[in-house]
Amino acid sequence: MQHVIAFIEHKHGTIRRSSLEAATQARTLADQLGGKAHAVVAGAGAAQAVETLKRYPLDQIHVSDEDRFLDGAVDAVEAVAKAVGPALVLVGNTMIGRDVGSRFAARVDCGINADVVDFKTDGGQVSCVMPKLGGLVITTCTLTGSDYGVAAIRPNVFAAKETSGAGEVVQLPSSGKASAVTVEDEVEEAAAELGVEEASVVVSGGRGMGGPEPFTTILKDLADAFGGAVGASRAAVDAGWVSHGHQVGQTGKTISPQLYIAVGISGAIQHKVGMRTSETIIAINKDGNVPIGEFADLLVVGDAFAIVPELTKLVRDAKAVHA
Amino acid sequence: MPGFVCPEVPALKILVTVKLVPDTNADKRIDPATKRLVRTGVETVLNPFDEYAIEAALQLKEQLADGSTVTVVSMTPASGKEIVRKALAMGADDAVMLSDDALAGSDLWGTAVALAAAIKAQSPDLVITGTQSTDAISGDLPGMLAEKLGLPGLTNARKVEVADGRVRVQRETETGYMTLSAPLPALVSVTKSANEPRYPSLKGIMGAKKKEIKQVAAADLGLTVALGTDGAKAQLTDLATPPARGKGRVIQAADGAEGAKAIVDFLKERKFL
Repeated sequence: MQHVIAFIEHKHGTIRRSSLEAATQARTLADQLGGKAHAVVAGAGAAQAVETLKRYPLDQIHVSDEDRFLDGAVDAVEAVAKAVGPALVLVGNTMIGRDVGSRFAARVDCGINADVVDFKTDGGQVSCVMPKLGGLVITTCTLTGSDYGVAAIRPNVFAAKETSGAGEVVQLPSSGKASAVTVEDEVEEAAAELGVEEASVVVSGGRGMGGPEPFTTILKDLADAFGGAVGASRAAVDAGWVSHGHQVGQTGKTISPQLYIAVGISGAIQHKVGMRTSETIIAINKDGNVPIGEFADLLVVGDAFAIVPELTKLVRDAKAVHA
Repeated sequence: MPGFVCPEVPALKILVTVKLVPDTNADKRIDPATKRLVRTGVETVLNPFDEYAIEAALQLKEQLADGSTVTVVSMTPASGKEIVRKALAMGADDAVMLSDDALAGSDLWGTAVALAAAIKAQSPDLVITGTQSTDAISGDLPGMLAEKLGLPGLTNARKVEVADGRVRVQRETETGYMTLSAPLPALVSVTKSANEPRYPSLKGIMGAKKKEIKQVAAADLGLTVALGTDGAKAQLTDLATPPARGKGRVIQAADGAEGAKAIVDFLKERKFL
């Protein structure tokens, strides 16, 4: 593999952070491989996304106006890959990123690595480093047997860095194909907020929260003070206190934020595998003997309902001083 | 007689893919010598995400015309038979096990190629999968299968309906949902929010013993490309065990202010504030 193609996920032109991370990482890898860094952006709002991409270190930005859900994006990535030659395709490990990356891999019969946190290159060979079993093992998989390969990068691990990029904008021709999938409507149920996968600070609540209310009040306030996101344990999700999209753990999301604050979460294996690769872990629990105490950097034993609001105040104050 | 003919709701052949995984509640260890998962004491279970797929298929079958069927397909060693039977105990009609030593060590691509061939041989109207497995957690297989089968892929569905030869889903998004539809045949992956999987009843468990589990090998499906470890396009080249996270500081907080201060001091120490 020589070139690197970053698939850019966006909503009406606003690019997801993980895609900017992919664009930045595309440059780094392309330099190591001696190739070019490309970005592919498709769908309504692509033109607006291009303006943002011009600030990233890309050689070429390929634009497709096709709005066919997923198909338009997969076709665009395929067209660019075929045009540029042997290439690694980077997608964010998000719902859309996985859909596009997986379908491209199946279409061109190449390898795909999911939840990648690091890369190693050797000549034209690309290996992906991925924690498995919640960080219990670190696997390295080499992409081989094809001119192409796909890596779905874990959000929040690679840097997104603006530079004086101004990549050349290349318009892709329209295929004129009809979509088999019809988008009937799109409904917003919650205010757009950062997901747990992409937030650098995650404040999670568990069984100890006792009900749904803390997830929209004290936990939310603390997460907001950090500009972070609210997560939850399986117990809290299964109890119906918070939606599944917030769940961290083996049957939820596996995340690596810089700071993870677990409130009223015992830290059973189910949860542990979803968050133990966080950089720093703080737990607040009324029980000093909870399993999370065995691997948290700091366990504060006390009343979360008293500590969290107080902590929010102090964090806000500290942030205000720096602002 | 015209006038007496009811609009026919055709029976559907629904196919559900399932995977066997190590028990999610077990604390897993890697043997430092062999670098393999220590399986002693770790039970194999039906991938929890697949239970939502089975439940979605059973609910559709109950709503659809008589004659609709649910077939379970699994790529698994022959030893996985008893776990496949759990899906039958939940209510699936029959099962196909793709068991072949040549498939051992398959990567995602190899799995997609082999599983797609097994699915195609069944000519289903609707394929339902879970969103991911608890051991690999890639979430890539549904998309790969849709592509390999040449079917519309409606992934991450929290609601599934079938009417008038089309499948309609609510696809979860980060902030809500999208309503998508496509003509059958199609592939749908369902999320955890889709339903509450049923427990097998005693009658179901007894009945499952009589249901057919068909065994197929790669050659039966006309697969000639190299699959398994040798054919993998993502080759495992290294497996390391990082040092375990040690026990950190423990602080007893008498009240909210004390606890908050301990955390803020720690955050300042770590340069978060």
